[in-house]
Amino acid sequence: MNTFRRFGKYLIVTGALVAALAPIYWMITISFKHEIDQFAVPPKWFRFPPTLEHYAEAFLTRSFGQYLFNSLFVAVASTVFALLLGTLAAYALARFRLPYGLDRKLALWILSTRMFPAIVTAVPLFLIMRDLRLVNTKLALVIVYTGFNLPFVVWMMRGFFAEVPRDLEEAAMVDGDSRFGALWRVVLPLVLPGLAATGIFCLIVSWNEFLFALVLTQTDTAMTLPVGIAGRVTQYGIKWGAMSAASVVAIIPILAFALSVQKYLVRGLSLGAVKG
Amino acid sequence: MSITLHHLSKSFGGSPVVDDLSLEIGDGEFVVLLGPSGCGKTTTLRMIAGLEAASSGDILIDHRRVNDLAPQKRDVAMVFQSYALYPHMTVADNIAYPLRVRKLNREQIQKQVARTAAMLEIEALLARRPRELSGGERQRVALARAIVRDPRAFLMDEPLSNLDAKLRLQMRAELKRLQQQLATTTVYVTHDQAEAMTLGHRVAVMHKGQLQQFDKPLEIYQRPANRFVAEFVGGPGMNFFTEEVARTLLKSAEATQTDADVGIRPEHVEISRVPRDGWLPARVYVSELMGNEVFVFLEIDHQKIIARAPADFRADAETPVWISVAADKLHFFDTKTGLRI
Amino acid sequence: MPTQRDLFKADQSLAYLFIAPTLAVLFALSIYPLIYSIKISFQGNTGNATLANFARLFADRFFLAALGHTFVYAAIALTIEFLLGLAFALVLNHNLRGRNAFRALLLVPMMLPPVVVGVVWRLLLNSNFGAINGTLKGFGFNTEALTWTASPTLAMASVIIADIWQWTPFMFLILLAGLQAIPQEPYEAALIDGSSAWQTFRHVTLPLLKPAILIALLLRTMDLLRVFDHIFILTEGGPGFATETLSLYIYRTAFRFSNFGYAAAMSFVLLVITNLISAGYIRLLQTREA
Repeated sequence: MNTFRRFGKYLIVTGALVAALAPIYWMITISFKHEIDQFAVPPKWFRFPPTLEHYAEAFLTRSFGQYLFNSLFVAVASTVFALLLGTLAAYALARFRLPYGLDRKLALWILSTRMFPAIVTAVPLFLIMRDLRLVNTKLALVIVYTGFNLPFVVWMMRGFFAEVPRDLEEAAMVDGDSRFGALWRVVLPLVLPGLAATGIFCLIVSWNEFLFALVLTQTDTAMTLPVGIAGRVTQYGIKWGAMSAASVVAIIPILAFALSVQKYLVRGLSLGAVKG
Repeated sequence: MSITLHHLSKSFGGSPVVDDLSLEIGDGEFVVLLGPSGCGKTTTLRMIAGLEAASSGDILIDHRRVNDLAPQKRDVAMVFQSYALYPHMTVADNIAYPLRVRKLNREQIQKQVARTAAMLEIEALLARRPRELSGGERQRVALARAIVRDPRAFLMDEPLSNLDAKLRLQMRAELKRLQQQLATTTVYVTHDQAEAMTLGHRVAVMHKGQLQQFDKPLEIYQRPANRFVAEFVGGPGMNFFTEEVARTLLKSAEATQTDADVGIRPEHVEISRVPRDGWLPARVYVSELMGNEVFVFLEIDHQKIIARAPADFRADAETPVWISVAADKLHFFDTKTGLRI
Repeated sequence: MPTQRDLFKADQSLAYLFIAPTLAVLFALSIYPLIYSIKISFQGNTGNATLANFARLFADRFFLAALGHTFVYAAIALTIEFLLGLAFALVLNHNLRGRNAFRALLLVPMMLPPVVVGVVWRLLLNSNFGAINGTLKGFGFNTEALTWTASPTLAMASVIIADIWQWTPFMFLILLAGLQAIPQEPYEAALIDGSSAWQTFRHVTLPLLKPAILIALLLRTMDLLRVFDHIFILTEGGPGFATETLSLYIYRTAFRFSNFGYAAAMSFVLLVITNLISAGYIRLLQTREA
């Protein structure tokens, strides 16, 4: 490839990166600008006096600290449950031959539940939770998010388990280990990286979720960050600063996690694409 | 430990993979299951290990029926074709695994691991991981893991097939010596008839799930029970003749059998560059100089056979030669059943 | 001959034990709500089973508008995301330095909460101080007419732009993976046969890329049909109801008007549409592989 074309490609790459990241950067600057600077024309990209007043407002005056905690709690709890249940199911589906090809059918069925549009289950779930007096509780969100994440965990972990050669477990059992022992001592250590990546992905999905949180929470006790941010919008006189500050805080953990597992995420995506 | 298979069968839904197999393996015996791929030898091994359930028939260990016994409890050790080493553990941990699972204390484990490692000359590798080892080294680790717990039997599934030719020969010799040292009952699966001949006390030749012959290696070679065994064992395999050639051969060798397939081993075909009285004419197709001998492919009456000639035999293609066979070296097999006559 | 008790029957019940909790949870959170939803969609005011809710759909102009908006939104966004993603994947299929870092950074928009994407673009597209209009003004353009969120067509454009910004990387990643899975040999053969760049693309690349393309399109279509979050923030369905998609209308019906039965009926329609389209894609996938 000659240098002209290569230069062109690098240009495209840079352009794409700028287009992808500049809007986020803009939001970050808004969160640090005084209101005067926020409304400045032409827009100030780099030179402005920074301030932390919006962060203070969001997290000290208003309840974003609480929202942050709720998001964290719900995300971690639902991820842990989803990993526990989903990994067991994934192992069974990857290893055991069930009659009538049940293992493959079940795997497909589990995956298909992910295809439901959220609103389709959100409406009845609200009614059900209302009857159970679970509306506006973190517990309701944890339950719903666990169900949300389970199909993904099963799908990912099944792939990872399938990559561990059957030989190893058979060797372990002939060596004298029980099936559980073989699972614990031989198989799990080998899928640990996959488990971590799957867990982080579940955390991100739970963290980002909006519709169910919107529907199932009403007050600060249970509201999560996305709902809190949306709350700034539906009042008149939008508080851009506080909204941006909360949004920035909302995306920090994601940026950190996403960058650390991007290799596995791409692999997970391409597994689906290439294997059809 | 003695192992007995009694009318053992296994099918995965279609035709049987193992068909009515009966075998008795004595304590301390080295038995080889020999056959082409798909003949059911690996499945048989796995049934002995308990990794597959038999469809019908009995598996007896020390005269006790063990069909329902889990692999963990059978006290057999298995060496897999892929070695199945635990990739996330060091060599030492790999070898120690069977002992750890049996909850021996740390000192005992260390002692036994060290002793076994010394036996297989892999002490230097103990701290390494499987991915850092060469094929031959991994093989030794797999063996060490099998030996360390002093099992009642070894089950080996084509352990040498992943090694290059030279290493294979070396390991073959070491395996034989090891077995003699430990005197443990061994069931060994392979498709390589040279391995079978050299390693086993007795060899069970299998084809399409059925036992063809179970005997000492030399017996199998000199008195194959049917046509399949005759062709499969021996490298190169036995030559078989069409009727006309057989008749000419038989007339010339003054034998009396008719209506049978006639076979002769390549080493029993004598070749001469000059015409001799009573010898049959043939034409050289191609010669393969092996170094220590020559494989001569001959054409006789439009049929190709192989003869083994001494190392100094030279003949170009199309050269006329004369061959002779001894009557007592001919093998006769019923044309329909393939069985030895 | 006595038949053997299957040694691995024990293993089979273990398998069911492992799978059961997951199935139970999924049943409780997906299947049961669905049944519940269908049940209430058949309930009218009198308490008898009725198709009134479904009949209403045909005359409801908001519903029909939402249907239209959803399809327009999905069609435009899908097309542009696909073309852009494909273009990027083709251009960047070769080994460039820093490709992994580039891919990692490209993932960022995809990982954001859609709510935040709504915030980001609402800030950018603000007619007065947003960076887009501000930068355009700086270049001398007159941006008075560019009232992004206040004009119906521009508002639809805004939400589509935001979607494209967030999800083109997704298309790009899947298509790139698909491209890289294509072996070298067909290309070499085409080269030797004298094929031009366009011909190679049409007869070698595209057919071999078909599975990846179909998967990417399928996944993305499913998500586009149920879009909710960032529109909620960016335009709140407005101005008026110009950007109200099906999900937004269902939400409004259920939680602003508390008309759950009707909302359930609409949800059912949305579900059927989604399933039909995905079944169509899957059939395409299967015939491709034949």
